[in-house]
Parts: sequence; structure tokens; C-alpha cells
Amino acid sequence: MAKKIGFLVNSDRCIGCHACELACKNEYQQEPEIRWRKVYPLKEDSFGGFAREFASLACNHCEDPACLKACPVIAYTKREDGIVMHSKERCIGCKNCMLACPYKVPEFNQKTKKVEKCHMCAARQDRGEKPACVVGCPMEAITIINVNDTIAGAERSLPGFPNAAITNPTTRFIKPVVGRQVRRDA
Amino acid sequence: MKQKSVVSRRTFLKGAAATVATVSFGGTFFDFIFSGLSPAVAAENSTVELFRNACPRNCYDTCAILSTVQDGVLKKVVGDPASTYTRGTLCAKGFSYTRSVYSPDRIKYPMRQIGRGSGNWQRISWDEAYTEIAQNMLRLKREYGSTLPICLNKYSGNFDIMHYGIEGMLTSIGNTTRATGTPCWPAGIDAQTFDFGTIVCNDPEDIVNSKYLIIWGANPAWCSVHSMYFVKEAQQRGCKVVVIDPILTQTASKADLYIQIKSSTDGALALGMARYILDHNLYDGEWLAKNSKGAEEFFSYLKNNITLEWAAEKTGIPQHIIEMLAREYATTKPANIWIGYGMQRHTNGGQNVRAIDALAAITGNIGKSGGGAQYAQLETWGFKYHAMSQSKPANSGGKEDRAININNFGAEVLNAQDPPIKMLWIACRGPMTQDPETAVVKKAFEGMDLVVTADLYMTPTVEMSDIVLPVTTAFETPGVNVSYWHYWLSLNEQAIKPMYESKNDVTIAMELSAKLNELEQGSCTFPTSGDLQEWVGKEFSEGIYKQFGIQDWQELKKGPVKAKSGLIAWQDGKFRTPSGKYELWSAEAEKYGHFPLPVYVEEMQSTDKYPLRCITPHWKLSIHSQFQNLDWMAAVNNEPHIEIHPKVAAKYHIKDNDSVKMFNDIGYITLPAKITETVSPDVVAVYETWYKNKKFNVNYTVKAIPADMGKKATGAPGIAFHDNFVAIQKM
Repeated sequence: MAKKIGFLVNSDRCIGCHACELACKNEYQQEPEIRWRKVYPLKEDSFGGFAREFASLACNHCEDPACLKACPVIAYTKREDGIVMHSKERCIGCKNCMLACPYKVPEFNQKTKKVEKCHMCAARQDRGEKPACVVGCPMEAITIINVNDTIAGAERSLPGFPNAAITNPTTRFIKPVVGRQVRRDA
Repeated sequence: MKQKSVVSRRTFLKGAAATVATVSFGGTFFDFIFSGLSPAVAAENSTVELFRNACPRNCYDTCAILSTVQDGVLKKVVGDPASTYTRGTLCAKGFSYTRSVYSPDRIKYPMRQIGRGSGNWQRISWDEAYTEIAQNMLRLKREYGSTLPICLNKYSGNFDIMHYGIEGMLTSIGNTTRATGTPCWPAGIDAQTFDFGTIVCNDPEDIVNSKYLIIWGANPAWCSVHSMYFVKEAQQRGCKVVVIDPILTQTASKADLYIQIKSSTDGALALGMARYILDHNLYDGEWLAKNSKGAEEFFSYLKNNITLEWAAEKTGIPQHIIEMLAREYATTKPANIWIGYGMQRHTNGGQNVRAIDALAAITGNIGKSGGGAQYAQLETWGFKYHAMSQSKPANSGGKEDRAININNFGAEVLNAQDPPIKMLWIACRGPMTQDPETAVVKKAFEGMDLVVTADLYMTPTVEMSDIVLPVTTAFETPGVNVSYWHYWLSLNEQAIKPMYESKNDVTIAMELSAKLNELEQGSCTFPTSGDLQEWVGKEFSEGIYKQFGIQDWQELKKGPVKAKSGLIAWQDGKFRTPSGKYELWSAEAEKYGHFPLPVYVEEMQSTDKYPLRCITPHWKLSIHSQFQNLDWMAAVNNEPHIEIHPKVAAKYHIKDNDSVKMFNDIGYITLPAKITETVSPDVVAVYETWYKNKKFNVNYTVKAIPADMGKKATGAPGIAFHDNFVAIQKM
């Protein structure tokens, strides 16, 4: 089977520090309100006990991308390795993709009047470097995997993540493990 | 267009930093198709340079940074992979540095405010600024017979070694008044000074060798992200990670065992554990006999005064949990304790740290890889302090500098007599947001003849100043940095030219000196010129060269270096106490008014009127008043909140995001509620920071209550920031 790459988000290692998000911004020097990667807090009681847990999400580079289908001007293409690319040149800023994406990934840039999103640092990867978020994470919580490989503990969803059946995202997750807690309100 | 040769980052790293490489950018296929730029528009033959920088913030991590500068513009920053501590990554704050440098909010030129707090600012030239400042300094000296009415408040905004030149500048005009002490950590420093003789910690990279790790009142997941990697690494190698904290912090969320302790009762837990260890013969008698003083007295105190039942009652932790913790800690070797700064910000904070230190001592965990009682270290700070070490001009009046307590700054300024304080110089500091009792601080500012603040942004402190001087960021000036936690030494190269009219604080000192001498020959000894790079070189001592195994400071241009020795604290068993032993019984402590043994001192209690303890820890997107004001951070979060337990919220009919007023005798703040199980029902948490254009300032409610210790090592006791009791109501 051909190699299909995706993000493996290890929420057990993630400490919600936003370094990945800011590493992305640092790499591309984006407008303040543009956030290709976002660190979402998960419900405190999602994993037994209460804890501060997160899912760091960028574009999920879906197998069946809703953005691509919704785009009227073929601004989206899916590379052979699975990366969903968006062309600012072709984009007319109609926002159809923004409505179609279940993960609210494409963002509208008020300055360029066009949409933009994470391209998994395709150019960096093409020259043999890892994406900025991957190398920027102090916890090594984000990696690039071949989604056709079997990764121990990798799951297709986390609590709160939209139904993966809609677009078949390539992002995989490792669930946080919450330790024993001795709380005073028990 | 075919892809041109783009020099990869790896190629850059092979060479020394700051070597100029000429490469083609923007010509790749990818950029053409997806950037929206046409190849003709994209710049060709740009000059790209790499510089080594160091994050100078008041932070454990003091990261080594690699900065990419294209045609004189700072394009991005990454962690320097040459440091095995930073490991090529930064934190969210570090990654925001381009926005710090190029923020539209930078103060661009000197300004004078007509009417303090009025917002009526006028641009002035540097010469006008120096003239007004120098004239006031000389006038005050004439009127009062000395320069003592001039007060410096400088602390942790920039810990670059050369920035101690700010202190040097004040020395060079004569005897002055100095805000003395440190708000952050002094109680713990004194505690470890009584026990060990000073503060020294193991290399944090050594955490991976621990088999048992208690993180006690520290939150590295927010405040030392690079250490958190080593904590996780230890965990993966089989180390049990225990977090003891009144708040279920981010670090606690990742622990194997989280114990929610009643705030400020840490000493009771440590002493209860010690009693269990004593009763079950789990202590290291051999280590104690060889290395300690006062073990017998300490054990006698435990036997006569401490019970497990009492410890459970005091701390709110079930007795069987205390017993389990004590047994596991005493029998798993090596066992490590990381003592946080949060847990010592109490009226009994220093005593609590001493009790925790005692646990490490009686179990023989001190001086060992994977063991220890980690607090901080200043071992790598043995510089010459050339910029700081200035002489006082002859006949400038007064006998010596006058110290006032930085931790009660407002009141101390107002109370100063003979002579009174009439002028403030503020640098690397934001008392109007970071000090307790904001209203008193404001009153102190209002009584001044002149307030001069050197800063990057229009902070609330600048808003209360008469003259603001724009300063450079770390990227615009050379320097050298070490950490109070890890053992790396990093050069900070000047990567870009100073922005606008900004100047380094040392340059300001030189130029002010020239103006003072112009107006009154001999009134200031600070050199009136000098090359900043050369001045960095002058900070290095033979001791630093030896410790880091370098011959010349310029070698650091090739990358940061780590200390060659002293990475395991107290490995040689030579303690720096008066007895040369680890002192469970400290006559020095007694001299400073404490009980000589680590004993339990009662914690402060809530009252009927103010039933909730408000804890004000650090926030993950800022370090004190820095970073949260930047637009990139505001995009992630731009709203402070008060964390409230669901039971408390129900009692006050508060729902998520409801507006809540938190108040006590001295002030109030209003902010949205966050209902969360991460706090206990007797605690609310509000994270201290400065938001741009928001009225939020948690210190409106924080009183300047001194912590128990800090006087010996730092000149003034710390602040019991977390002994703040409040009431809340739904708005």
C-alpha cells in the first residue's frame, strides 16, 4: 500500500503548552488571528478522574476531504502522500470549505481575503525536515506516521472529536492515562 | 522554474553561527504554487544569517535560541539543538519572540508624560530625556546632600548578566536607595541556606535517573516545559511521579499519583512522613551520622510533637496515603523531590521547605544522582559583574546605599525619611502589576518628583511614569545568560539592529553618565563609552572559564556549553553551613528568629468574612507581566478567569463564564468564572499576568504579607502571595 502520512497526536505526552501552535506561527509568521494548529482542552472527566488534557489539532489531511469536495475552484488537491494542499492562487475566498470541514480547519485571512490552512509543512517535508509543530514540541507529543502502519495504542478519535466517518481523517491519537488522585473534595 | 539550491538548516548548523550565507529563497516549486507569490517577485540572493540568542526571562529554562535573520529582519527563532536541556525546542512564549520584537506596541522613542497617568505623552529626544533626568538627579543631590532620594527598582525582567549594569549606573552617581530582595523565592532560599549552606540543585537532566520523584508545589508543565520532558522520560523508565499541590495543575494531571494537599500545610505532611520513616526504621542512620548535625534533636521533636493522625488532620490527606507515600519515598532509591516556589509563598513557607529538605536528608538521598531536594542553583552565576561593579564618586553624600524591602515597595517608599525618596528609576520591572497592594504602589508613584521607566511596552508602570526610555529586546543587543536551574551557559549575540530609537540599558547608563558629567564634572563614574560586545567579554571570570571548560568567551559563538562539574548537588558532602554538615539543627536559623529545627508553624486560616484562599500562580502564556500582551498570545487566550470548584459555584449560583467579583479589605477584581474540578472547595485560583487593555490585575487584592524567611540570603523576606483570603459574589 502506498505511504499515507498523518499526524500522530500523543495526548498522554501533551501538556497543553501551545508550543506547537506558536512554533507553527513562528515558522510562517502568520497574522495573529490565523491559527493553523490549535490546542483544544478536553473535558476534565473524559479519561477517568479529573485532569487537564488536550488534543493538539491542525488539518487532519482527511482521506475523503470535505474541503476539497466543497471547493468550487479546485483550490484543494490531495498529494499522493496524503497531504491536503490549498492553493492561495486559486482560492477565491468563498468560504465553502470552511462550512464543509467538520473540524473547522480552514481559516479566512482578512488581509488576503482568502482561506488558508495547515499543509503539514509540505515544503519542509519535501526537503527532509519535519513539520515545525513536530520539532517545536518540547514533549515530542506530535509525530508524522504512515497511517497504513499499525501503531500501538493509536486510535482514530478522542472524546469530543467529530465523527471520523464523515471525512476519514488521517490524524491518530494516543489517549491520556490519568493517574491515581487523592482529592480533598471526595 | 526549477528548484534552486536552498541551504538547509542542517548545513547552517555545521558552520559557526552568524556566518553569512547567500541563498535563494522563494524559488521553489512549492512556494510558487502555494504561496501566491510569483517567482519574479520573491527575493533572490537574500542574505540569511543565523545567530545564537538566549532567552533572558525569569524562568527555569533560560533557553538557548537559534535566530534566523534575513536581510536584517528576525524571521524566526528555534531552540538550539546544541543544548541537551533545551533540545531544539522553545516554549509558546519563546516561539512568540518575533512578535515581541516587531510588536506595534513597542515604545519607539523617549517620551515625556504631561501629568502622570494622563496618557498625554510627548515625544522627546534622547538628549532632552537625559538632560531632564540628570538635572533632577543633581538637583536632588543639592537639596538633600546626597543621591539617597533616588531609588532604583530593578529585578527580573531581563536576567542577562550585563543588565546588572543598571545597578552599576545607580552606584556610579553615589549612595542611592535600592529596592532589595526578591519577590519570588526567598523563603525557600533561606530554608536551604540554613540546611545546606546555600542553594544547589542537581542538573535537571539528571531527573531521568530518579526512581521516585515528588514534585512538591511546582508546575513544570507550565513553568519549565523542558524539564517536563525529563520528568516524562523518567516516568517511562519506571520512575513513579507524585505531585503534591493544592491545585490539580497541568503537571499533576500527568502524575502517577496526585495528592491534593490543604494549601500551606506541606510541612505537616513532610513531618508526618518523617515520623513514619523514623518509627519504621526507614531512615539512613549512616548518612546522618556522617553528614548531619541535629538528627537526634530532630527525631526527638518528631517523637514528642508529630503524629500521623495530626498530619492527616492538618493536611486533609488520609493517614494511609501519608504512610504509603512515606514508605515508598523512603524505600525507593534514588528518590528525588522538586520543591517548587509556589509552596514557599506562605507565612510558614520557609519552615515547610526545611521540613521537606529534612525528608531528603534522613533518607540519605542528598548528594546522589537521581536523588536530592531540588530548589535552584546559583553556582553558574560566578561572573565578574563588570558592568555592575562601579565606584561611587567622591563627596557625593550619604554613608552607604539604603535598602528598602522590594516586597513592600509602595509602603517602604512612602515611609522613607531622612531623606525621603523623590525619584524612581524602574527597569526590568513592573511594580504596578506585579507588586502586592497596587493602590499603595500607585500612591508611592504619585509622591515622586520624577519617575523614569525603561521598558519595551506601555505597561501600567510606564503609564505611571514621567519619562519612558525605549529599551532593546535580547535580539538587538549582546549579552550572556545562565539559568538558576540548569547548568548551561549561553551567549546572546546581537542578531538585529536596535529597533527605532531603543537602546540597551548599559548604553543608557553610558550616555546618562556623559550628560551628568557635562552638567557637573565628576558627578558620575560610569564609563561614557564602550563597545557592548567587549563589555560582554568583561563579564567572564576565570572561575566561569574553568567551570565550563572554555578558554575564551568567544568560543560560545559555536554554541552553548554545560558546566563540567558540580552537576550533582552536595556530592562531595561538603556543606556550606557553619558546621560543614547538613544542619537539621541550625543555630543560624535561630539567629534569624526561627526555631533551630524544621518544625511546624501554623498556617494562615480563612475567616468567615473571607472564606476562600486565592492562589495566584504563574500563567502558561506569560512570565509575570511579559508575553500575554502580545497579539499572538491574545489569539490563543485573551481573558483571565477565576477557577472555582463546582460545589463553591453551586453555593454562589455561579455558572461557567458568569462574571464574578472577588474581593477583600484592600480591593476587588471582576472576571469570568471557570468552573473546574482542578481546584478544591476552599481555594480559588487566578493566574497572575498582564493583559493589554484590560483592567485585570489580581494584585489589587493581594496584601504585602511577608513570608517567614528570606532575610538572611536575599536581604528581605519573601511575600506570602498565596495567603490571600477573599470572598466572591456573582455579578
